[in-house]
Amino acid sequence: MDELYLDNIDEFVNDHNKIVTYKSLSLTLGVHVNTAKQMLYHYLEHKRKESSPQLHATYLVTGKFVDNGQTCHKVSIVREDQLEDFKSKMSLIVSVHVYSVQKALLKDSGPLYSVDYDAVKDHLKNCSKYSAIQCSGAVPVSSLERQQALKAHNPPQSEPGNSGTNRETNPASKAHPRPPKGIMGMFSKKSAVKSQNTSEEVKPEQKDEPAVVDTAKNKPAAKANPMMNFFGSQTAKKSVKAVKEEADQTSSTSEPPPPPQRKSPQPCEKFDGAAVQTQKDPRSKTKRAEDEDSEEDKMDKKKRRRIKKPEPDSSDEEVVPDSPQPQETLTRERSPKKETETVQPSNGHSGAKVRKRRRVLKSRTYLDADGCMVTEKGFESESYSESEEDFQAPKAAQTAPFKAKPNPGSKEDDKKIQKKAPANSNKGGKQASIMGFFQKK
Amino acid sequence: MIIQLGSGDLSYDPGFQADEAEASFFVNKNLTGFTILCKQLLQVIFCDACGKTMFSDVSAQKNGPSLLCSPASEEQGPTFERISLPYELYSDRYRVGQRSFSRQYAHIYAARLMQMRPLLAERAQQKWGSNVLIKKLCDLEPGEQCCIVGTLFKRMELQPSILKEISEEHNLLPQPARAKYISEADELILEDELQRIKLEGKFDKDKCVTGSVVAIYGAEKNDGKFTVEDFCMADLPLQTPRPALSSDRFVLLASGLGLGGHNADSMLGLQLLVDMVTGQLGDTGEQSGAAAISRVLLAGNLLSQNTQDKDASTKAKYLTKKTQAGSVEAIRVLDELLLQLVASVPVDVMPGQYDPTNYTLPQQPLHPCMFPLSSAYNTLQLVSNPFEASIDGVRFLGTSGQNVCDIQRYSSMDSHLEILEETLQLRHLAPTAPDTLGCYPFYQKDPFILEECPHVYFSGNAPTFESKLIKGPDGQEVLLVTIPEFSSTQTACLVNLRTLQCEPISFTAFSADKDEENEMNISH
Repeated sequence: MDELYLDNIDEFVNDHNKIVTYKSLSLTLGVHVNTAKQMLYHYLEHKRKESSPQLHATYLVTGKFVDNGQTCHKVSIVREDQLEDFKSKMSLIVSVHVYSVQKALLKDSGPLYSVDYDAVKDHLKNCSKYSAIQCSGAVPVSSLERQQALKAHNPPQSEPGNSGTNRETNPASKAHPRPPKGIMGMFSKKSAVKSQNTSEEVKPEQKDEPAVVDTAKNKPAAKANPMMNFFGSQTAKKSVKAVKEEADQTSSTSEPPPPPQRKSPQPCEKFDGAAVQTQKDPRSKTKRAEDEDSEEDKMDKKKRRRIKKPEPDSSDEEVVPDSPQPQETLTRERSPKKETETVQPSNGHSGAKVRKRRRVLKSRTYLDADGCMVTEKGFESESYSESEEDFQAPKAAQTAPFKAKPNPGSKEDDKKIQKKAPANSNKGGKQASIMGFFQKK
Repeated sequence: MIIQLGSGDLSYDPGFQADEAEASFFVNKNLTGFTILCKQLLQVIFCDACGKTMFSDVSAQKNGPSLLCSPASEEQGPTFERISLPYELYSDRYRVGQRSFSRQYAHIYAARLMQMRPLLAERAQQKWGSNVLIKKLCDLEPGEQCCIVGTLFKRMELQPSILKEISEEHNLLPQPARAKYISEADELILEDELQRIKLEGKFDKDKCVTGSVVAIYGAEKNDGKFTVEDFCMADLPLQTPRPALSSDRFVLLASGLGLGGHNADSMLGLQLLVDMVTGQLGDTGEQSGAAAISRVLLAGNLLSQNTQDKDASTKAKYLTKKTQAGSVEAIRVLDELLLQLVASVPVDVMPGQYDPTNYTLPQQPLHPCMFPLSSAYNTLQLVSNPFEASIDGVRFLGTSGQNVCDIQRYSSMDSHLEILEETLQLRHLAPTAPDTLGCYPFYQKDPFILEECPHVYFSGNAPTFESKLIKGPDGQEVLLVTIPEFSSTQTACLVNLRTLQCEPISFTAFSADKDEENEMNISH
């Protein structure tokens, strides 16, 4: 065996002034643990012969130890100077080997743990590759299998509830994938908005175009994340039914575009891109509320990465490369979003300036496929009117978007509500606003 | 058992017999000295007779090349295949399917008494003759000698009661926290389905705990109290014989890892434990011995009590908004530790009192989503808190220790081992549930009644390691083990499945203050 490793160890110990344990050595050099122990010993002997500056070593001693009549197997790390003393106390010595080599004398064995911890942390995936025991039974299960096992393990009743909540939440969260994750997310989102504009401006026949763009964009992303895919296919199927109905509805929406629609692209995009804080809100009270929300939201990002992850991908979920059906769903899925977004500025223009839409952070909790409670925070657009009171508007507004979606003839419904809302607000008068302030608290 | 073995061996020694007179004289002179001598003698004999089954000996038998030499040419170190044993989980009865908490706890007592009554009637007939009169309390007549089967209830003055605290009109000072709640004024009452009766007479009332079902023999006196002459417990259930194994194989039991605690020193010990089991540490012999560890069982309290900060519930939300729960970090560390283990050995993980699952017994398995790294391996078994499984035909049953700690508070018994034996004789894992120990409101069946006798009966989070092999009336052989808390004792234990022996295995490292201690010892 070439003795290159001596230089390696020397570099670690003397140049980097590190503690070298047999385990960190074995993991960094990729050698069997026993070889690493021997290497350390060899290095130690070698250096001692050279009479170079003093090195300190710790040893591992295991064996039988009798304490108060109780025999026990003892595993100890001892310093070199205590080695012989310690060995003499043991009634039977099973093994002795070098545990670590370092330049400084260790007062405390604490640092040894951190060295091992760092080494193991870097090689978590194959931490027992070089150990002397192999376990053929321990094989990592693929994520897909795990998912299936979990599902089989889960009580079946969680499924219907799941799909039920999903159906409601998914379109909403899809409509506003809040943090456009990565360039992909931003890109696809924008293109969706843009292409939608073109299609609506030009002719209803070109409806298919955005679909092509979207799927093309989303496909690679979907492939990259097979686990999500697995999820996706499920949710896709569930939402197919709900979405189909919406499809009819969208085809009809594009045909009577109100004249002010032309101006829509600008404000619409701004609206999407702008952060929540920048949104101009006349009332400081809501502003504050939103500020707080967004702060919470930021923290959420940090804290619950696991929860967040599925969300940005949720638009990708719909795409399963193999089956053509989900692709269709995607185009359909997209359409309700366009609708809600385009409707909003047009309304703002079309006279009743009292009526507006805002994005609010809402959290939903539901049981997901592997039985975890998932709390999803998502922006949702909600209509409200300026003069209307807090306690009136939300009620009308909350029901509006949800009512609108499942109904085939929702367009009319929507209109009705919109018409009603300003009427309501007029009735309400200005005084109620103070009342609303109190009632909310 | 030790005594028998010892005396047997001693009598073969003619020299010793000849000196018997001298020995007796010696005994009179210095009794204590003799017993110490005797103990040491027995120790030697004992070690010789069964020493070969200890882990150290198994490891020492196979000696490979020393590691205190320079590495040989190209040769890779040896690898051993982890022994794999048939394993079957019997914990289904401890899974709570439909979680309805609206029921009353009376059902669990009714179910318990109903299940136990025939067993106790049988025991009573064995003990007091087949024609013993077994009566219900409602048929009881004064002065008549009979046997009654019922549930014990101990009325305790000191038992903390939330109702008492609320309804106390005279503002009493809050009671100091106690280690034990027994007092002289305690009264023992026996209940059956309809009635209750006060007990007096020959029994140790401090030793009894509420909720245990027993049969008592005696008569009712004119003052309405029942004078107990004798009583009997359900005793050990029947046992499936253990298969004879040809080689030594081990199961490692550990509990109270206490991650996320203030005691960072214990981490190195824990890492040594992991390295020992996964075959990193030691010479070839040690590693081959470690390969015979077929499973690792972690019996609760993987997280430290410190991870449960009470601040979260008392502080205003805006103050704690940005702080992360201590258990999050601890679970991450646990996941990494488990990953190292499961890549090399099957691991059963039981939750304990401080772990993030439900608090009431039976505690349900920890959710796999907390272990994103280690749950990828099929060797990770997340199991319920009373845990029951058979490993290579040896049946394991045990808890993370809540049941034992609770009995310790409400009875005069102190040793975890003694309590463990008592519960086995009562044939009930947790008699004090639901009285003083949180428990799910079962109503059809009490799952804590032992239906089959285990071969290894353990409880976790004990202050020290203790073990004992006991024999039942029907030839049952049970190893009782109290698994010490690892974070404070740095000790785990190994059960030899072939011989049903258990030995502690301890891990030490050096630290600055320990040195001083050693030096002091030397100087004295």
